[in-house]
Amino acid sequence: MAITSRHRHTEPVWMRNLFIAAAVIFVGLLILLPVISVFTEAFRKGFAFYLTSISDPLAMSALRLTVITAAVTLAANLVFGLAASWLIAKFSFPGRNLLLSLIDLPFAVSPVISGLVFVLLFGAQGWFGNSLSSRGIQVIFATPGVILATIFVTFPFIARELIPLMQEQGAEEEEAAVLLGANGWQTFRRVTLPNIRWALVYGVVLANARAMGEFGAVSVVSGHIRGRTNTLPLHVEILYNEYNFSAAFAVASLLALLALVTLVAKAALEWRIRVEERPAVMEDVV
Amino acid sequence: MAIDARHVSKSFANYVALRDVDLHVEQSELIALLGPSGSGKTTLLRIIAGLDTPDPNPQTSVVVDGQDILDRRGSERRVGFVFQHYALFRHMTVFENIAFGLRVRPRKLRPSEPELRRKVNELLDLIQLGRWSTHYPSQLSGGQRQRVALARALAIEPSVLLLDEPFGALDAKVRQELRRWLRTLHAKIAVTSVLVTHDQEEALEVADRIVIMNQGRIEQTGTPDEVFHNPASEFVVTFLGHVNLFHGRVEAGQPVLSPEANGHTTRVFVRPHELDIERYQSSGASVAASIHRIQSAGPIVRVELTSHQNESITVEMTHERYRDLTIKTGETVYVKVRDVRVFVASK
Repeated sequence: MAITSRHRHTEPVWMRNLFIAAAVIFVGLLILLPVISVFTEAFRKGFAFYLTSISDPLAMSALRLTVITAAVTLAANLVFGLAASWLIAKFSFPGRNLLLSLIDLPFAVSPVISGLVFVLLFGAQGWFGNSLSSRGIQVIFATPGVILATIFVTFPFIARELIPLMQEQGAEEEEAAVLLGANGWQTFRRVTLPNIRWALVYGVVLANARAMGEFGAVSVVSGHIRGRTNTLPLHVEILYNEYNFSAAFAVASLLALLALVTLVAKAALEWRIRVEERPAVMEDVV
Repeated sequence: MAIDARHVSKSFANYVALRDVDLHVEQSELIALLGPSGSGKTTLLRIIAGLDTPDPNPQTSVVVDGQDILDRRGSERRVGFVFQHYALFRHMTVFENIAFGLRVRPRKLRPSEPELRRKVNELLDLIQLGRWSTHYPSQLSGGQRQRVALARALAIEPSVLLLDEPFGALDAKVRQELRRWLRTLHAKIAVTSVLVTHDQEEALEVADRIVIMNQGRIEQTGTPDEVFHNPASEFVVTFLGHVNLFHGRVEAGQPVLSPEANGHTTRVFVRPHELDIERYQSSGASVAASIHRIQSAGPIVRVELTSHQNESITVEMTHERYRDLTIKTGETVYVKVRDVRVFVASK
C-alpha cells in the first residue's frame, strides 16, 4: 500500500512544514534528547568505566532485586487481575462498582502515600509491626515491603486492560462452551483465555514497565539499604546524589534498556493484534 | 426426547419473569415459545438449558427423557443451544467450532481423531458449508454463522435442541431461507426442539405447536391452526397479527359491529381478511365507514377506513374482489363480517 494521504491538503505548504517542525522539535527535546543524553553521559568516561559501573556488586544486586520484584509482582497481578476482571466483567453482584473503584485506587493516590500506608501497617511502630517482628518477619526496609508496594502501584494495569474487553465480549461464548460439555477449566483455557490473550500480554507489558521503574512507593518502604533493598531506580538516585554522575547514568542506561525491550515487545504485540483483527472479508456472502 | 417442565417460576431483582409455568414438549416435536419481549420465553429456555436456575420450590421439576435434570449442571445436561448472536468461538475455525463439544469430552468418551473428522465433515455437509471449514466466524455471513452454530450444537448429539431467537439478527430474506431449511432439517433429524421467537409469522410457519406467553404465563398452547383460528384470549388475538377492534354486540349468536341501542358494547375482534366491504347496506350488521387509503401493491389489497364511530378499520381482499367493487379513496362504504369465526371478548 502506498503511503499517501487520503485527504486533500487545504493548508499552505509553509504552514504544514511549520507544524511538522514544531512536532519534531517537541518530540526531540522532550523525549529523544533525554534518552540520548542518558547514553552519552553513561559512556562519558569510556566503555571500560561503563562496564565497571554496571558490574559493580551493588548495581548487580539492585538489578537482581528489580528483576525479582518485577517477576513476583507480575505473577501476583496476573492472578489478581484475571480474577478481578472475570468477576467484574461476567457477573453482577452487590459491591461491583465499589470493587471497580478500589481497583482504580492505586492510580488515584500518589505513590509516596502508597508507600507510607505500608510503613504505617507493617513498620516497627505500625499496626502489625509488633506481631510480625516477634515472629521474625521483616516487611518494611526489606524485600517483602518493596514487592508489596510495587504490587500495589501496578495493580490496576492488567485489570484495566481486561475489563472493557471482557465486558464487550460478554459471557455467551462461555455459556456455549459449558452447554457443549466443557468444565470450568476447559472453558477458561479454550475459550476465555484465547479471547483475551493479547490484552493480557499488553497489560503485563505495561505493568512490567511500571514495576521496574517505580520510584516513589518503593523509596518509602525500602530504606535504601545498599546491596539489600535498593532497586535500580533507587540505586541511580544514590549514585547521583553522591556526584557519581557517570556511574548513575550507566545504571540508568540499564533501566532505559529494560524499557526499550518492553517497548519493542509492546510494538510487536500491537502489530500481531492488527494482523489478527484484520477486517472480516466476504461479509455479504449468504 | 420429551421435555416436561412443571411449576417453573423465576423472579429477578425487579421483575417476575415466570409465574408457575408448565411446559410439555412431545418427543421429536418442534415447539415455538412465542411472546413479546419480557414475556419470560427466553428465561424458560435458559432454565431448561441450565443457564438460569428457577426460584427454589420443591414442586419444580424439569424432566427430559424421564429424568429430572434440574440438579444437573449445564455441562452435564447434553442440550444443544443456539444463541441469537451465534456465540461462535471467534478464535477457532468453523471446523474447530463444530468439533469443540467432542474435544472437551472426558478422554474415555472422546472419539478418535479420524472418527471426529468424519463426524464434523458429516455435519459440515449437512449445513452445506464444507468449503468453509478452515474459515473463521468473522469471515462468514450471519446466515452461515447460524448454520455453524447449529452444527456445533448437533455435534454433541443433544437430547433436546434449544434455539433462542435464532433468526433474530438476520435480514428478512435470509431469515425466510433459514426457516425453511430448519423445517426440512428437523424433518430429517427429528430432535425434540424448542424455538423461542417474538415473530408470530415465524412461529406459525415453523412450529408443530405454539406456546404463546405473556407476562410470565402461558396464554395458550396449540397447533398453529388452533391458536390462529381459535384464540383463547384477547392477548392471543392481538399478538397473532393485525386485528380490528369493534365496540359492537352479539345478536342471536352472531357478532354485530355496531353497539346496542342503549349503548352497551362488547369488544369484537376481527382480522382484516375476515371483513368485507359492500357499497350499500344489506343488513344491520354492517357499519358505515369512509375509505382513507388503498394499498394495492402486493399479493392482496389493503383498505384502510375510518368508521363513523371513529374506529380505524383495516380490510384485506383479493385483487379480484377489489376490481369488482371499484371503490375509491374518500367514498363511504359499509363494512361487514365475512367470516363468523371472530373473537368476542367475554364480559
